[in-house]
Amino acid sequence: MKTQRKTRLAVLALAAALVGSLLLSSCGQQETQTGDQTQTQSGQAVNVNYGISNPWDSLMPYYSVSGSNYSRIIYDKIYDRLAYVQPDGTCLPRAASSWESAEEGYAIVFHLDEKAAFHDGTPVTAQHWVDTLTLITDPACQILGRGTFACLTGTDEEGAVQAGQKVGAEAVDEHTLKLTFKNPVVPEEFLVDKNRELYVLPTHLLTDIAPADLVTDDFWLSPVGSGPCKFVSEVSGSTLVLESNPDYQLGAPGFDTLTITVMDKSNLLTALISGDLDYYAFGGSITEENRAVAEQAGFTVQEGTVPSTFYELMLNNETLSSPQLRQAINAALDKDLLCQQSTGTLGTVTDSSILPGTDYAGPAAQSAYDPDKAKELLAQAGYDGQTYTLACTSQRASLAALIQQNLEAVGLKVEIETVDSATMFAGMNDGTYDMGVASHTPTSLPLWFTGARLTPQNNIFRVGDLSTYTTLINAIGQETNQTARIDLVDELEAYLKQQMPFVPLWFGDALHVQSNTVTGIDYPSSACCNENVWQWQKTV
Amino acid sequence: MTNYLVKRVLGALPVFFGITLIVFFLMNMAPATIADAAGGGEASSAAARAALEANLGLDKPVPVRYLLWLKALLSGELGLSYRTGQPVLGMIGQRVLPSLILTGTGVVAAVAIGIPLGVMAAWKPGGRWGKLAGGLTLLSFSAPGFFLCVLLIYFFSVRLGWLPAAGMYSAGGGGSLGDLLYHLLLPAGVVCLSNLGSLVRQTSSACGEVLGEDYIRTARAKGLPEGTVVWKHGFRTALLPVVTTVLNHIPHIIGGSLVVERIFGWPGMGSLLFTSVSSRDYTVIMGITVVIALTVLATGILMDIVYRLADPGVGWGGEGR
Repeated sequence: MKTQRKTRLAVLALAAALVGSLLLSSCGQQETQTGDQTQTQSGQAVNVNYGISNPWDSLMPYYSVSGSNYSRIIYDKIYDRLAYVQPDGTCLPRAASSWESAEEGYAIVFHLDEKAAFHDGTPVTAQHWVDTLTLITDPACQILGRGTFACLTGTDEEGAVQAGQKVGAEAVDEHTLKLTFKNPVVPEEFLVDKNRELYVLPTHLLTDIAPADLVTDDFWLSPVGSGPCKFVSEVSGSTLVLESNPDYQLGAPGFDTLTITVMDKSNLLTALISGDLDYYAFGGSITEENRAVAEQAGFTVQEGTVPSTFYELMLNNETLSSPQLRQAINAALDKDLLCQQSTGTLGTVTDSSILPGTDYAGPAAQSAYDPDKAKELLAQAGYDGQTYTLACTSQRASLAALIQQNLEAVGLKVEIETVDSATMFAGMNDGTYDMGVASHTPTSLPLWFTGARLTPQNNIFRVGDLSTYTTLINAIGQETNQTARIDLVDELEAYLKQQMPFVPLWFGDALHVQSNTVTGIDYPSSACCNENVWQWQKTV
Repeated sequence: MTNYLVKRVLGALPVFFGITLIVFFLMNMAPATIADAAGGGEASSAAARAALEANLGLDKPVPVRYLLWLKALLSGELGLSYRTGQPVLGMIGQRVLPSLILTGTGVVAAVAIGIPLGVMAAWKPGGRWGKLAGGLTLLSFSAPGFFLCVLLIYFFSVRLGWLPAAGMYSAGGGGSLGDLLYHLLLPAGVVCLSNLGSLVRQTSSACGEVLGEDYIRTARAKGLPEGTVVWKHGFRTALLPVVTTVLNHIPHIIGGSLVVERIFGWPGMGSLLFTSVSSRDYTVIMGITVVIALTVLATGILMDIVYRLADPGVGWGGEGR
């Protein structure tokens, strides 16, 4: 009886296993068919597995709805840019071999690399760049981020070409491109500011597409660029397979395929340790608390050369209407403590958005933490005990709690609202929130932060009278004499300290986990949304 | 039966449109749109945000947008993704199979383990099987999915290095069945563990009730083998509630597992939904809503059919016993 039962159980278990195997194999067979796309041509292909924590948007580089660096870092591989920008502001040749200022600073002449070619073999010419700029400044073309090109002559303040005019781009000869600007521009500053937004499109393949249909055309499902990698396949928002462009003008990447997989941020380092990833964006960045984990697992951790993040407390200047009230908030914050709690030893407290180490940076910030002065300023501002809202994302909830403690210690009542970043920025824009904690990727330009946030077009701090900011920002933008420019920047900084439209908190340095399987990676430059994949070499 | 099915399908239609209406309006009550998320949220101009909203049709009133969406749906279109500009149908199509593989395998494994374990636990509640069932149920109910993911990754990927921590295939692995299974084990294990508790509990509770019935005692008294009593007379009678629990997992299989797919970088519906919600990609969210709503409604109809086939006394015209 017992033996019979055991036999039946065994048969049942075997049947269950068989059914399971059959189900699995049927599923697996179907997936193999779809998965063929991602297979390399030979079984010996050298792959680089690249992780990223957020998905890219459309593969049309001028239609990135999120406008995020996660999209830019992908476009960087398929499409070519004029230069390769490093975080200290150094610009190296890429599609352009060299450049120079012309017409007293009102133009830049780019000498294009004659070896550059699109993935279909067509050489990249200056006319491709001109046609690209003509196309994307065409008001009929529904691209996003057109405001980037408002600096070019012939465009309006939204970057669209004006009726009867031509965009300021000219093909001087087959490999010489001239860009003309409304205001004098320093070439390197133009590249630091705009390089990540300017890609050359294969306009010879886009002639049959009406500008109005360009961004949604099927062409972008299998795009052709002139970057160091060629498109192979995509599962939108999940996996992107690229292959090495053997003809890239700066050299072929040292791998056959680059497989980019979206995965949760929490799993990037573990996937690197377990060998499922070779590297992850941006620059294999980790927090200080994970440094020991990475080092114990046999990875080298490299410290960044230039700060990679800037933290600020956004203020609603409409509800926090008095400069004394905003200065009280600045004085109430123990930035050293906040910085230490958030970054460990990897942060530098600041009283400005200007990147330390640049010509425009002032002396190192002294701690402004002074609760007594904050109380005085609150009294001067006539604070009536109102409760203000402080918006933050869930990742910054503990930082917001510390800020709340600091502010309540001087008598300012604060209520925290934890929301997602889109809601936070929308709420700051429409005045729902009084404060918000945000971080940004800085550049070496003096106006990288203020120039995009204290303008009539984007007044996220809801400043009532922008005239002084506008005057100073425009003056800095038009000044080409470095000494005079530094003076103007100092003037703007002094006004910012007096008005305190936002509270600068600190600059954070990056930590990069170095890949054990790919050499040649320029980790810090990923902060500028470009990666030197043509120098990468898979070693295992 | 045909009349019954026609009635059920017609009855499901208002429910379906009701679901889409509620989801559409709830989604549009969220405090930000995709235009607010654009450009990192804070660095784009008001004009750029307005232009994007106009491009995407977000400047129209919500009821108008719903009617436009409905009109497109009735002509077989789910529209274009706000985020990628790609057809939503194609994006969902790419994600259904990976979700079916992952969640399907996890649920099939949970059924294969949970039902026998539940029966054994009901048969001998204080025995080894009962204790094992209790332990697994406790683990399944008490450990959140993300915790199980992290725990399994830590042990099997980081410490032991036996299994991959992410992805569906190794890059260049050829997309083979073996490679898929290798990548499937950990995430499917989490899905299995997460679903196991309800299955074990439902099965053991249903079987436990039946095994106490008089006719089971009679069957034992007649000298029938214990296996026959438990499986043939006990389990078969307890099958209906168990089948209900199993069928309830079908929408989950189609809809994918948001947390597991996200953490393991699995290209399924769950990770697509996560991305779409965080980027306010309304067209994709609505597309996924349509797929899940249809699956839930179809599962309801399927359950009714299974009930009536399993218990002919219920009848097809609603006449019943």
